[in-house]
Amino acid sequence: MSTTDIGPKGSATKAGGAVVGHVDHRTGATTGIGWFLKRNIPGETSWFQTLGFAAMAVFGLQAVTGIVLAMYYKPDPTTAYGSIRHITNDVTWGWLVRGMHKWGASAMIIVVFLHMARVFIFGSYKYPRELTWVTGALLLIMVMFMGLTGYLLVWDQKAYWATVVAMNITASAPIIGPYIADILRGGTTFNSDTLSRFYAIHMLVIPGGIATFIGLHLFLVSKLGISEPPWSKRSTRARRAEEAAARAAARQRGPRGRHEVTVDPEPQTLTAEAGQ
Amino acid sequence: MNRADQEAYRRDYAQAKKEGKPFYPYAIYKDHVVAVLVFAGIIGMAIWQRVGVGPPVYSATSTFEPRPEWYFYFLFQLLKIFKNQTALVPVIMATFVIPNVLMVLLLATPFIDRRAERRISKRPFALSVAILAFMGMAWLTYQGETGATPTVGATTIPFTGITPGSAAAAGETVYLTEGCSSCHMVKGVGGQVGPNLTTIGTAGKSATYSGKLPVPVPGATGPTYSGANWFVLHTECPTCAKPGSSMPAFASLSATDLQNLATFLNGLGTTYK
Repeated sequence: MSTTDIGPKGSATKAGGAVVGHVDHRTGATTGIGWFLKRNIPGETSWFQTLGFAAMAVFGLQAVTGIVLAMYYKPDPTTAYGSIRHITNDVTWGWLVRGMHKWGASAMIIVVFLHMARVFIFGSYKYPRELTWVTGALLLIMVMFMGLTGYLLVWDQKAYWATVVAMNITASAPIIGPYIADILRGGTTFNSDTLSRFYAIHMLVIPGGIATFIGLHLFLVSKLGISEPPWSKRSTRARRAEEAAARAAARQRGPRGRHEVTVDPEPQTLTAEAGQ
Repeated sequence: MNRADQEAYRRDYAQAKKEGKPFYPYAIYKDHVVAVLVFAGIIGMAIWQRVGVGPPVYSATSTFEPRPEWYFYFLFQLLKIFKNQTALVPVIMATFVIPNVLMVLLLATPFIDRRAERRISKRPFALSVAILAFMGMAWLTYQGETGATPTVGATTIPFTGITPGSAAAAGETVYLTEGCSSCHMVKGVGGQVGPNLTTIGTAGKSATYSGKLPVPVPGATGPTYSGANWFVLHTECPTCAKPGSSMPAFASLSATDLQNLATFLNGLGTTYK
């Protein structure tokens, strides 16, 4: 405790402060969190730029509802179907948690696709955010695999046969197809270990991958900054000023130089295409 | 993007940040508004559209359809376009080539489009790609949703030419009770996941397979399987009879059932119409 502290303090407050101070001194947490929260972002951001956070929030919801479902689900071919019935019909609010997990999966796909569309339309994947896009695309692929592996766990006719067909399609791919299918099924055919294998992939392998890549994605987003909408008032103003300066320079240079210098603010082909 | 463009972008973005607002509370507040709306949507759907439980695996029903989740319909529909495989449109296009090419293109997007321009109005090619990709996926998803509505749960198929008590009649029973009609259509009855079998007997199927059949069927001995024997081979081991087939193997049927089923299938379109 420093000597500039004024007034009496309870021992609990002192102890709490000491713990926080200790952790902060070793980790720099206050500085880090302060930087993260107080760092500037461009003044004009679009509502469409909230979809990435929404996707992360849905991942959190899927994790929580998934954990609750895992408390009642039995990944065994003989009991899986019964445990799903039990969750749906008997467990208090089980139907709601299962419903939220199922609809959350659909919401995840929609939100992630809209997020990707936003990044594409805004051109946000361009320099310097190329790797942010790559990590995001890998997240999309992992999310699709979550859908594939989670679908089987219900263990009803539709889920079972749809997954059998999906695995046969995987196995039909050249060279590595059969190996991937064997790894996913835990054998050359669909067998009694396939369900628990899908459960482990759905519960442990892919969520670990998604969490890791969300971390990388967020690191890049905060390091490189939130992109500014390309049609923001500020950038339009800046572009106009630059163009005006270029024109003025060209006017000045023109008569004195050996040949007339024309500075075109836009490459010619682009202006022509945009006019169509 | 050349070095000058990159530098210009960095300078411009630094200026945007300088004139900007702090992340907290401006971005965080917007993020949470949207996240709460999304959560409300999920909870609303969970209450409004209750998630049910279908029939258990291996129950003798055909009132189901082996369809994936709606977000895989575009791949599922792609498979249907290529399912009647020929040398020109091999099924591998739908199962492997197209999905993987799209995946690589998706991952490589920032390295393919390296131009500095970010305004979509000045990126007509990128805009066309986005619209085409969206419309293509939306169309395939819609087709997968509406096209695959089968007349499931049928107990009979309106046939002429099947004598009650014959091998073909027994084969028809196997066909209907083992769930074949969940994926296959015969005379308007059944699903559309697999090929339509109404005239499959006229296709002149034949294959060479030198391995052993999982369930030995009298008369069906290799290495050449044609006519009814081809159907025995295909039912027990689809990929042995037709490489690249994604049909599940039905090697759990008895030899008699297999024989009857093969008789029935081999006569479809010729004897049984």
